[in-house]
Amino acid sequence: MRKALLSLIIIFSSFVLSGQNKQSYDSLQISSNQRILNNLAGLPQGITLGGYGEVLYNKPENLNAEIDIQRLVLLFGYKFDERVQFVTEIEFEHVKEVYVEQAFVNYNLTQGLNIRAGLMLVPMGIINEFHEPTIFNGVERPSLDKYIIPTTWREIGIGLSGRLNRISARYQAYLFNGFLSHNGETGLLKGSNGLRSGRQKGAESTMNHVNFAGKFDFYGIRGLRLGVSGYHGKTQAVDGQNQIPGSEIGVSMLGIDGRYTYKKFSARGQYALASLIDTDLYNELTGRDLGSKLMGYYLEAAYNVLPFKNRQRLEGFVRYENFNTHHEVGNIVLKNKAFHRKEWTFGFSYHIAPGAVYKMDYQTKSTAISNSTKGQFNMGVGIWF
Amino acid sequence: MKKTVFLSFFLFLFLSLSSWTKELHSDRESKYILKETRKAISATFPFETFSLEQKEQKLNTSTFLEAHSFFNIISEDALKGYAIIATAPSKTDSFEYLLLFDLNLKIKKVKVLIYRENYGGEISSKRWLSQFIESPEDDSFVYGDNISAISGATISVKSITESINEVMVSLKRLESEKQI
Repeated sequence: MRKALLSLIIIFSSFVLSGQNKQSYDSLQISSNQRILNNLAGLPQGITLGGYGEVLYNKPENLNAEIDIQRLVLLFGYKFDERVQFVTEIEFEHVKEVYVEQAFVNYNLTQGLNIRAGLMLVPMGIINEFHEPTIFNGVERPSLDKYIIPTTWREIGIGLSGRLNRISARYQAYLFNGFLSHNGETGLLKGSNGLRSGRQKGAESTMNHVNFAGKFDFYGIRGLRLGVSGYHGKTQAVDGQNQIPGSEIGVSMLGIDGRYTYKKFSARGQYALASLIDTDLYNELTGRDLGSKLMGYYLEAAYNVLPFKNRQRLEGFVRYENFNTHHEVGNIVLKNKAFHRKEWTFGFSYHIAPGAVYKMDYQTKSTAISNSTKGQFNMGVGIWF
Repeated sequence: MKKTVFLSFFLFLFLSLSSWTKELHSDRESKYILKETRKAISATFPFETFSLEQKEQKLNTSTFLEAHSFFNIISEDALKGYAIIATAPSKTDSFEYLLLFDLNLKIKKVKVLIYRENYGGEISSKRWLSQFIESPEDDSFVYGDNISAISGATISVKSITESINEVMVSLKRLESEKQI
């Protein structure tokens, strides 16, 4: 052990020393170092402000419409120096609920490597990470990103992220706190929305198992971006409860996503599969109806009808979603056909300026139960700055 | 388990210390930029030894070209090309990129030197940047048309595209005024 540590110290000191030699060599070569600071003089320092929000109108068939400031998120960033930055997003949901959506420190070690710690978004699929209303079509986010991937899914954790420019790839690997499956009184995970109610969101969260989350993005083919995300771990149960079998379940998740743009045409798709272990024990203990496999996918195509050089974009789109939170159930729960949902969405996004969008669409939502189709009309305004 | 934690802690500490120096951050960034610039010139042009001669600012500044440094690339006492280190905005920050030109003002290389913001860094992709070399001269670059989009990096993609267009406009002006 000591030997290992000693050799480690020697290796690193040699790195440090060799680095310093090289730097002084460079500065000798170019004496006018200061003049290059032309580029670096005007850098924005200190505080960054930003935000996004969406105000929505939803009118389900035969029901009253709901008008809601669905979310208003204020972003604050602070740059301590070129390497260390703090990012936080404060979210107001439905005007009156306040959440912290992100709060992490990013420490940039080299151009391709960052250490991040704090409350962060779990990299799974597209929308959980890229959820600003001006960068997805549809008034509402895809439903898959609500029921299978519990967007906005964030937990406290630590990890690495960075880019590999040579192979056009981005990587992320984090250790996160997991879902809360049992709070001592009741089980929180259920058939209708899977893992969604178990999100702890960094609020006095309890932890007894570390979970791993990672994503690899490849964008080396022009116009195409592919992502593979993985999540593996175990849910948490509060003290005293975690000894009781069935209070905690194993969670593994796989996400595959793709986004393609060619001139005015764009398309995206996503597949998500969550595999849960010990759901029979959990359902027996809690009386819940949690499925053992959750699965879904969506496909979307869009076309911008305005010329490239225009500042505005008008995108017509169509999206098909098919997802099932009871894709598989264990031995004690019966499959609920109402949990196998299919949705079509047709509409357009009118980007009146980069960062401001009007949206309108019509959705038909059905389940595996026959004659279950319902329609819904949606409108909304979205901003991101 | 404890040993692993202990070891990773030390690893982290040494990584941090190795990147810590007394000099100013901007000085360190300058040195890094110059090092990467020299590396890119060596890889792009056929000559082995060269020197850089910094020139006064010559390009128009604008929203997409916040600052720049202009260098003549000299090898064997002859002018061989130009290197421009430019600063362009990302969503809430800025980034530096390098443009290398031959004497005909044909782009030979585009490279992102420093990218600071968490999102949008995909524009550093070598493969994506090579579009600026392949496109025919005299054509301006149009996002979405001859420059492909990158999902998740739209703002920075537009920024560097516009920024390079502005550099080209300024260079053509300088050429017509016989200043280069």
